[in-house]
Amino acid sequence: MSFDEAFDVIVIGGGHAGCEAASAAARLGSQTALVTMNLDLIGQMSCNPAIGGIAKGHLVREIDALGGIMGRVADRTGIQFRLLNRSRGRAVQSPRAQADRSLYRKDMRKSLEGTPNLHLRQGTVLDLVIRGGRMAGIKLQDGRTFGASAVVIATGTFLNGVVHTGHETYQAGRTGEPSSIELAEALKRLGFPVGRLKTGTPPRLDGRSIDWSAFKPQPPDEVPVPFSFATDEILQPQLNCYVGYTSTRVHEAIRQNLHRSPLYSGKIRGIGPRYCPSIEDKVVKFADKDRHQLFLEPEGHDTNEVYLNGFSTSLPANLQQELVRLIPGLEETRIIRPGYAIEYDFVDPRELGPDLQTARIPGLFHAGQINGTTGYEEAACQGLIAGINAALTVQGRQRFRLRRDESYIGVLIDDLISQGVDEPYRVFTSRAENRLSLRYDNADERLEPYGRDLGLVGDSDWERFNQRRDRIALLWKILEDTRLKRSDKAYAAISSKLGADLGDSVTLAQLGKRTGVGLDIIRSVLPAEKLPGLTDSEIESGLADSLYAGYIDAQRLNVQRLHQHDGLQIRPDFSFRGLSGLSHEMVERFERARPLTFGDARRIPGLTPAALSMLLVHLTVRRHAA
Amino acid sequence: MDTIVALGTPAGRSAIGVIRLSGPDSLSILRSIVGDDHLKPRPSQSVLRSIRSNGSSSILDRALLSYFPAPNSYTGEDVVEISCHGSPVILRQVVDLTLALGARPAGPGEFTLRALGNDKLNLCQAEAIRDLINAQTEAAAQQALRQLMGELSARLQVSKQKLIQTIVQLESALEFVEDDLPQLKKRQIAAELTDVTTAFAKLASTFESGHLLREGLKVTIVGRPNVGKSSLFNMLLASERAIVSEVPGTTRDTITERISLEGVPVLLTDTAGVRDSTDRIENMGVARTRQAMSEADLVMVVIDGSEDLEVEDLRVLSQARSGRHIVALNKSDAPSFAVLEKSRPSFEARTINVSAVTAGGLETLRAAILEPFGSVDSSNAGFLITDARHYDLLVRARLEVQSSVDLLQEGASEELILIGLHNGLRFLGQITGETTPNEILTEIFATFCIGK
Ligand SMILES: Nc1nc2c(ncn2[C@@H]2O[C@H](COP(=O)(O)OP(=O)(O)OP(=O)(O)O)[C@@H](O)[C@H]2O)c(=O)[nH]1
Ligand SMILES: [Mg+2]
Repeated sequence: MSFDEAFDVIVIGGGHAGCEAASAAARLGSQTALVTMNLDLIGQMSCNPAIGGIAKGHLVREIDALGGIMGRVADRTGIQFRLLNRSRGRAVQSPRAQADRSLYRKDMRKSLEGTPNLHLRQGTVLDLVIRGGRMAGIKLQDGRTFGASAVVIATGTFLNGVVHTGHETYQAGRTGEPSSIELAEALKRLGFPVGRLKTGTPPRLDGRSIDWSAFKPQPPDEVPVPFSFATDEILQPQLNCYVGYTSTRVHEAIRQNLHRSPLYSGKIRGIGPRYCPSIEDKVVKFADKDRHQLFLEPEGHDTNEVYLNGFSTSLPANLQQELVRLIPGLEETRIIRPGYAIEYDFVDPRELGPDLQTARIPGLFHAGQINGTTGYEEAACQGLIAGINAALTVQGRQRFRLRRDESYIGVLIDDLISQGVDEPYRVFTSRAENRLSLRYDNADERLEPYGRDLGLVGDSDWERFNQRRDRIALLWKILEDTRLKRSDKAYAAISSKLGADLGDSVTLAQLGKRTGVGLDIIRSVLPAEKLPGLTDSEIESGLADSLYAGYIDAQRLNVQRLHQHDGLQIRPDFSFRGLSGLSHEMVERFERARPLTFGDARRIPGLTPAALSMLLVHLTVRRHAA
Repeated sequence: MDTIVALGTPAGRSAIGVIRLSGPDSLSILRSIVGDDHLKPRPSQSVLRSIRSNGSSSILDRALLSYFPAPNSYTGEDVVEISCHGSPVILRQVVDLTLALGARPAGPGEFTLRALGNDKLNLCQAEAIRDLINAQTEAAAQQALRQLMGELSARLQVSKQKLIQTIVQLESALEFVEDDLPQLKKRQIAAELTDVTTAFAKLASTFESGHLLREGLKVTIVGRPNVGKSSLFNMLLASERAIVSEVPGTTRDTITERISLEGVPVLLTDTAGVRDSTDRIENMGVARTRQAMSEADLVMVVIDGSEDLEVEDLRVLSQARSGRHIVALNKSDAPSFAVLEKSRPSFEARTINVSAVTAGGLETLRAAILEPFGSVDSSNAGFLITDARHYDLLVRARLEVQSSVDLLQEGASEELILIGLHNGLRFLGQITGETTPNEILTEIFATFCIGK
């Protein structure tokens, strides 16, 4: 069979994973098709109109440093920027923005259309074409066939999607769009283990019918912190969000109607994310709370639609309307689109390697919610890695992977492929062992050289990166060389502010190791002309380097101590089958990976701690006995 | 997975001998050797059957059979126990029968390893089994048993929970800034964490006694020739183990024997008398005495109280002074002992008057040996840390949590305070079993209503 069109890489799905995948593959020089059911919904934010947040903002920065597009699109379309955790340390600060939903979509589509080698195709994929056990192409519902030796599936919640509002259910990928039933079946036929997850959205309200005076405004930052290292200025006018609360009357009404929720009637079997519970769940599980926080988030500049964040629900639509009107300030409010819950298939991500390629079918990649994650940022970063590796595979180049200790992306992918998921997976800073090193403001330092090597970072971005790096290096030298002496004018004020005697003379780098040393102190010692071209944010980055350096070193020692057995050698002919008490599955995982040291073994995905202890006992205890 | 077999009771003649099988074929092997294809003893019930060698009608033994189906058995696999009469010949034959039916002889500790692999035991329980098997005295076995019953894990549980709760509060404050969470009460958190460090310190401080209980106390008897070292050694042993004679220089080499004092295992070493000599062999013995002295936890200097102090007595005393030591003033039965009493200088160390001949002062001497190590009350005293690994982990955990308390008081940001808490929990996890990041998240979602 010959194909109607031939490409190098095909990306199925035009959501956040699909967009990054297609953009990266095309920019790496592969002829790339992005196949999606509806071209007008490329880059759709199907849940809340916001990008970033703690750990998620880190991901967007990492995507940007590698040469991805999400950060730039968000910067051009963001309507409320806020840096979260400002009062805490730099490592746990993270940018977040509300985006104009429709502008984001348009901007994303324009970015893709302006990308050479990238071809948009509208259509519904029915089946995968596999030849000799490898990826060969896809078949569409309209009869067309496309060839490609690398295919990225990034279908979000569309695989066997079922939408629930009350006891009404229908097949859909998002509300108003059909689901992919055939593709889901095709994956099952290929033997992929498939599970079911659930997520939900709240109702969208008509902003004209809201009593805004009943809500507390949440203003944007005065100086917005953008996502992209390339963005100098945020141009969109900035808006407020608003904070309000449910009341006991709302809770009472929900409790009385629980039997009408598919979550509680047992109709929904998929597992939902615990950190994004429905309002039904909140009321039941935290019965003693007499109010729950809500956010009113504008959907854009040119729309009346308002997103009622915190009120995700799958109750019947008419009941949602009644409940909304019990909320203080929403007594007159009309719902434009009701909330709903959606169940969808995901494929066990333990099928994947660190390049997001399936072991079962070479050339097939999975990215985004199909791997059991939730969140635009989680999806986008997987799309980027899958798209890069799809292109590298086609080009016969060495594949690209990120480590846990250098990126949140590495943490996320490693968690997925080694642990699998039992609920929709989201990033948290606490998932990263190296949290202190993985800062939003040093993502470029950590990853931009990789992006450059791959060929995704253009000359002007690379130039900007190098200049920034030089400036921070210079700052470092200044901090090391500048001494604060007891006789200095600023000394007394700084000493009293920090509540400590600083000795007769300290360098600013040493001073930076103390909690509470911020921009103001540095500026009080060093006049602007001594800090040529350095922005406030760069000075804060330099201070964060000082503050964390000691902790990072100590932590490295600790990790070494915890992993002191990593160097233990395992003979190449070692028989894992001979490890008494090891289950068949564990033996297989060992045999497949053939580790040569205990450290290698420890990193094999999917091993139980017990299996590792047994190997360790064998490598240590038995050897002494022998 | 194969099926393993081993004797569960010590080799040698005994009233009964237990053969243990573990693995998927345990039951079918059992059925074959009793010739009953339907046999299936109910859990916790024993049945009496005849064991026949393959195909033959002659009965090898009448045995009590028990069956523990997976996962409710020691190893977590199907386990069969066959209690035979304790003749080594019979036992050998029954084991051979099971081998012929496909079982494999178990390696050392293999049953325990399998239990570990099937999550039936945590690491510190597995260690306890090792200790129980190696226990040198009743009291040491008691401690191992308590650890096996999970007492160490249970004692650490309260602190672990406090640690996890604190981590949950601080992590939530970091990760869910936009959620409506209660304000952190830093003072309360500091108090909770101080409870944790105190608990760790208390438990760690039992290691000195616990260590003795497990490893035994090394006591070396020294003195110049003929003061009665070997006589005292025999007295403490309650057996004529060492040669005693009136000839100075009788003992040429060190002899070590094990005794139990109040349940504490004591390794008692008799040595050659220390003096300047031209005899090559005697000098080699004296070198060994020095060695034994340096390895001892406690040195017992014997001085002949029926004679005047000699230069050599003083020399031995000064050598012993660098470590823990006591003085046994021997031959208190001799008439001259009382006469010399008044002119004798008093010694720096605890001094006990004894007589190896009358056994006078024996009880005082026994008590004095244990005295420098605090009271190791064997049976009903508190729980003791006996394992150096556990001690080390507890000390590290305490230091880590302490560093967090310090940072908290300095007003540091949560991500810094959390470092020591996570490390502390990780060290603790090496005793009680790991706490995964996912378990922490589960705690967070159970504690706070998170999520927009
Ligand atoms: N009256 C009396 N004689 C004792 C006592 N203890 C030991 N003797 C005698 O002292 C002599 C030496 O006893 P040992 O026990 O052989 O002395 P030792 O210190 O081991 O001597 P070396 O091995 O030669 O260094 C023997 O004749 C004992 O019978 C005691 O308490 N009272
Ligand atoms: Mg002697």
